[in-house]
Amino acid sequence: NLDLQPEDNRLTADAVFEDPAAYKAFLAKIYAGISLSGQQGPAGDADLSGLDEGFSNYLRLYWKMQELTTDEAIIGWNDGTIKDLHAQTWTSGNEFIRTMYSRLFYQVALTNEFLRQTTDAKLDARGVDAALRAEIQDYRAEARFMRALTYWHAMDLFANVPFVTENDPIGAFLPPQIQRADLFDYVESELLAIENEIVPARQNEYGRADQGVVWMLLSKLYLNAEVYTTTPRYSDVITYTNKVIGAGYSISTNPYYHLFLADNNTNGTQTEVIFPIAFDGLNTQSFGGMTFLVHAPVGGSMTPSNYGINGGWAGVRTTATFVEQFPGEENSADGRALFYTDGQTKAIANVSPFTNGFAIEKFRNVDVNGVQGSDSTGDFADTDFPMFRLADAYLMYAEAYIRGGGGSAANAVTYINQLRVRAYGNSTGNITQSDLTLNFILSERSRELFWEAHRRTDLIRFGQFSSQGIWPWKGNVAQGVTTESFRDVMPIPATDLGINTNLQQNEGY
Amino acid sequence: TSVGTTSDFDGNYTISAKSGDVIVFSYVGFKTQEITYNGQSKLNVTLTEDAAQLDEIVLIGYGSTTKQDATGAVEKISTEEFNKGAIVSPEQLLAGKSAGVRVTSNNGAPGGGSEIRIRGGASLSANNSPLIVVDGLPLDQRGVQGVRNQLNAINPNDIEDFVVLKDASATAIYGSRASNGVILITTKKGSANTPIKFEYDLKASSSQVNDYVDVLDATQFRAIAETDTNYNASLLGNSNTNWQKEIYQTAIGAIHNLTVSKGYENFNYRINYNHTSQQGVLTGDLYERNALNLSFVQRLLNNDLKLTLTTKGILDDNKYADNGAIGAAVAFDPTQSVYNADGTYFQYTGENLAPINPVFTLENNNNRARNKRNITNFNLDYKFWFLKELTFNLNAGIDYSELNGKQFNAARPTNSASFPYKNFYSGFNRNTLLDFYFNYKNNLELINAKIDLTAGHSYQEFFIKSKQTETETATTLVVRTPVINRNALESYFARVSFDIADKYLISASYRRDGSSRFGPKNRWSSFPGVSVGWKLTNEDFLKDSFFSSLKLRAGWGKTGQQEIGANYGYLGVYTPGRNDASVQIGDIFVNTLRPEEFDENLKWEETSQYNLALDFGFFNDRLTGTVDAYYRETEDLLATVPTPAGSNLSDLLTTNVGSVLSKGIELSLNGELAKSENFNWDLGVNVTLQENKITKLSLGNDPNFLIAQGGISGGVGNNIQLWREGLDPSTFYVFRQVYDNAGNPIEGAYVDVNGDNQITEADKQAYKKASPDVFAGLTNTLTYKNLDFSFTFRGSFGNYMYNNVASDRGNITTVNNAPGNYYPNAHVSVLSTNFNNQNLFSDLYLQRADFVKLDNISIGYLVPGEKITFRASLTATNVLTITKYDGLDPEISNGIDNNFYPRPQMYVLGLNFTF
Repeated sequence: NLDLQPEDNRLTADAVFEDPAAYKAFLAKIYAGISLSGQQGPAGDADLSGLDEGFSNYLRLYWKMQELTTDEAIIGWNDGTIKDLHAQTWTSGNEFIRTMYSRLFYQVALTNEFLRQTTDAKLDARGVDAALRAEIQDYRAEARFMRALTYWHAMDLFANVPFVTENDPIGAFLPPQIQRADLFDYVESELLAIENEIVPARQNEYGRADQGVVWMLLSKLYLNAEVYTTTPRYSDVITYTNKVIGAGYSISTNPYYHLFLADNNTNGTQTEVIFPIAFDGLNTQSFGGMTFLVHAPVGGSMTPSNYGINGGWAGVRTTATFVEQFPGEENSADGRALFYTDGQTKAIANVSPFTNGFAIEKFRNVDVNGVQGSDSTGDFADTDFPMFRLADAYLMYAEAYIRGGGGSAANAVTYINQLRVRAYGNSTGNITQSDLTLNFILSERSRELFWEAHRRTDLIRFGQFSSQGIWPWKGNVAQGVTTESFRDVMPIPATDLGINTNLQQNEGY
Repeated sequence: TSVGTTSDFDGNYTISAKSGDVIVFSYVGFKTQEITYNGQSKLNVTLTEDAAQLDEIVLIGYGSTTKQDATGAVEKISTEEFNKGAIVSPEQLLAGKSAGVRVTSNNGAPGGGSEIRIRGGASLSANNSPLIVVDGLPLDQRGVQGVRNQLNAINPNDIEDFVVLKDASATAIYGSRASNGVILITTKKGSANTPIKFEYDLKASSSQVNDYVDVLDATQFRAIAETDTNYNASLLGNSNTNWQKEIYQTAIGAIHNLTVSKGYENFNYRINYNHTSQQGVLTGDLYERNALNLSFVQRLLNNDLKLTLTTKGILDDNKYADNGAIGAAVAFDPTQSVYNADGTYFQYTGENLAPINPVFTLENNNNRARNKRNITNFNLDYKFWFLKELTFNLNAGIDYSELNGKQFNAARPTNSASFPYKNFYSGFNRNTLLDFYFNYKNNLELINAKIDLTAGHSYQEFFIKSKQTETETATTLVVRTPVINRNALESYFARVSFDIADKYLISASYRRDGSSRFGPKNRWSSFPGVSVGWKLTNEDFLKDSFFSSLKLRAGWGKTGQQEIGANYGYLGVYTPGRNDASVQIGDIFVNTLRPEEFDENLKWEETSQYNLALDFGFFNDRLTGTVDAYYRETEDLLATVPTPAGSNLSDLLTTNVGSVLSKGIELSLNGELAKSENFNWDLGVNVTLQENKITKLSLGNDPNFLIAQGGISGGVGNNIQLWREGLDPSTFYVFRQVYDNAGNPIEGAYVDVNGDNQITEADKQAYKKASPDVFAGLTNTLTYKNLDFSFTFRGSFGNYMYNNVASDRGNITTVNNAPGNYYPNAHVSVLSTNFNNQNLFSDLYLQRADFVKLDNISIGYLVPGEKITFRASLTATNVLTITKYDGLDPEISNGIDNNFYPRPQMYVLGLNFTF
């Protein structure tokens, strides 16, 4: 008999969906697509095999694309072409860029498969009951949101990318390329289509997307619309940030740094979080995501136990340019200036040694009392990553106001001062309407949102990423130089260009 | 016209003849005699054995031929030619013995396996190892779980001969598994009508490492550490420890073989008990084998029915030393002592990323596994009573092995929060075979031809189950879901051979294979082969030439490949995630479910191969030789390649893409330089020239498309080799180092290939390769009366090696920029390069690795006796390596030298008693 089927816990599609719980398990995989790297924690049975599993994690790669390429972060490791990210000397052969791209399209393929497996026809054929069907409709909306999120990342990083939906098969075909502006329309239409299908804001289970997340992503999309399509959409930013702000999220009275601790899903700061990427030291283990974000910035004379970990990875620091965003620099009254300076130099003479450049102590695996998270070995963190939070909505509102999208100056000032009161512990850091300038917004976004994977997109929107804007080691020169503007878009990886003849390389590469 | 008859079992015959007729007496394996009949009533003849011809019966798949009649590239290597020494793994008997066959031991571990390549391997990422058939049972090409080398189940002492089928016309009868050649192993069976014979054989050995990786000594190391801007003297010790010396030992080994055999008229048996115990040079490493090998042959019905049963029971015990100690010994600070003053191990407590004291690791980490295995084959060979030329052959075989292992790793001393790790693993492999064929052999007088027809059917199934229970938290063990894999092959095969006038040979074979690994529409495929031969010396015009034999051969065949590892690659399956990879949804952690990538159009990889050859002999065949030339092309490669983004459920997919081409020339020469009663001298030489290249790699047509290969140490995600059209698959991909006027490398300065004034990925060049252009073997055997002396040389030329230890650790940063409070050791090359940082891709680290090795040299003396024959021998193996490569060993199969388990030098005392 040559017609053999799996006999262990692997199942064919027909067999697997006999279990009603399979739909939620598949949905969980789509969320896990951001936080985890495979079916075993922390590694083993990887989703992607083109790069070391820990490195291939979505959040880890997205963070590197958004942060290492900017003034906020620099890394000293010798992993492949990783240093080219900060130096802005990457080529289409860069394996981190390639794996980011692979990860994005893996996530798209995963959501497409989910949508194919949950069509009415399939559910009819499997005799799915009404209650489960209703739940599956929620799942489908969330899957479409997750796909829109990933296509947004793809559009933001790579501009013109392959385009596949649930209407395409699984196989070895060559997907067509979509232009950035067309992809913008698609993402927008998807988000608008699910806006009222998805669970209302703050009503879904923890970790799942809801209407608030959809509004937030629409706001991000419209804020950067000019970059993507050349057509500004700032009034839409006001519309959708208003929806987010009115949905009942709030800035807690906790100090700023509590937002990034092991108990950030319960310590009070969670009221501000619109979309968390949940991690857990025992149940959600990977070498990417939060494990990377708590270990890699620890080195030199830093005491690992202060960060709830067993040892640092001595990799990531920041540049002087970022330090100088804070008045008083490392001694700033601004509570967001979370620098570690013992044994560290502010200037970076050599990229490799950890002690060159100030360290940053933002993400930690300890709770508000300094107690280490659930993994007693100190390997894996409980800290959740706040992908979208209210502060960002406030800052987007203010920026859209300045850029002529409407809204009110008074609201903008009120919103920003809420953040600054938290940062300073009092009103000494407050601003007035005259401070509302684009330059201020760019700096304030960096102070409030640094290392939260926004910086590259922000710098590009402000025209400060490549041909303008200088920071240490940009251009692979200690004092920094400008680079060419084509670097605002990442190259389509050479591997995919080599295989998929439908693709055209982005300009400049 | 001629008439013929056959004698009965006792040799009686009757035939009608008249005076003057010539009666020809012939029997296979004996010299033919012609007698002119002149009226005798009785004519008794005694045929003399034709030793040369007897030797030349050569197995081919599902049948046999003689060397003279073989038309494919088939080579037999028998006991006398085997490598000498305390050989644990049978494939080592073959190293250097056959043209076109490269056997590279994986490392110096006891009982470790080897990479076997016949004509370089036909695939890219699918299997490249030959199919191995033991007494008619094809082994699972993936091996069996939990052993170092699945071939260790075959006791080298028990092997009668190897037959290597190299070209496709010879291998096509094995169809879908034959692209990389086939090795047929025949074990010893004893023979009929022989008195009882006892044999005891002992090989006692001692081995040691004779070279270490060149790292800094304490003084050199301290000098570099002192240049650290944050130098902390308290982190260094006061010793001068050679950490590598601390982890290696003198390894003792012994191989015992006790054999009893006897042959009756209709029955013979052979019983062998083997005990092998071999320590590894890495302290704590041990390989042990206890095996019982039985073979019984029973002949019935006047020899028309022959039943053969061979069964091997093997207990394969391994104690695996933690190989992590090898890298740790290279990296460990030489100023530290192994032990603290209080007798405890020196450790970097609290430094999570620091190396762990390798002596501690070897002492405390334990991993033992036992594999119980049985390989049994039952063969029935029956000559039909009504038609003696027709035989039926049935073969039923099973290879069953059961694994039980346990591993214990001590808590990481560098992390006080870590806990010990326990791992209990078990499982079994079951490989079952049933095949049968009919064979018809006859002389067709009409056209003065011999015909040989075979047709049969085969079914083989492989079943693998693996279980594991391992530590999850400090206090809990978790039982993992068992993994089960089953796959099956079904085949029909046929072959027809003609020998016309003892001059022209024609052979054609055909196999149709079905594999469970492909979907219904691609499941079946056909593999034909054709070959022809012309025995030139049997032609009148060459009858009295200076050639004593001369045969021209040519063949073509198509073979396949289905060994891709995954069993359900055409079927979309879903894999559940483990608890430790679940996601929080609400207040609970939900286990995930992942759809796997698949290609429903997955099909066979197809290789077609042409072979042209000349077999020749001079001086009454005292000097014989063969030249083979081949051209081989593999299409629809089953390669794991990047999939177009968005089209499938992973970034890499095993699919049919691309093609590779290889061609080569193989020459072997065997000379009996001296042949007399007291003095014999045999010399065998083989030389292989080969070339492999990728001719197509993707669905697109970008000639610069490349896939990075050859992962290296030093950071993560770095590769040193590439696949690209037009290149050998083991080609390196490097920057060309720039040197100053004094000839010293300038750090970070490389040739700017594209002239854009910066050094980027685009300036990397494909340069040199790991595979050799030429390799050769030389075997020399001398006997003088009862004294024998032999040695084997092996050489490889045109191959390069990347010294990854030097590239990773040969820089100052390695010492001075550890991610913690300690100083790791550097490779000694830092003293000449003065490199500050890693320069992983500099071709500085790529070195010529041509070598000539004296693999073994042996001397033996035989004391003949009335009742007891006694032989003593002394052998040294891995005696000498001549190379320019300055790393540990120029012979590492993938061309990347990194934390290599050194191959020891071994001295063996052999004693053999026969009575």
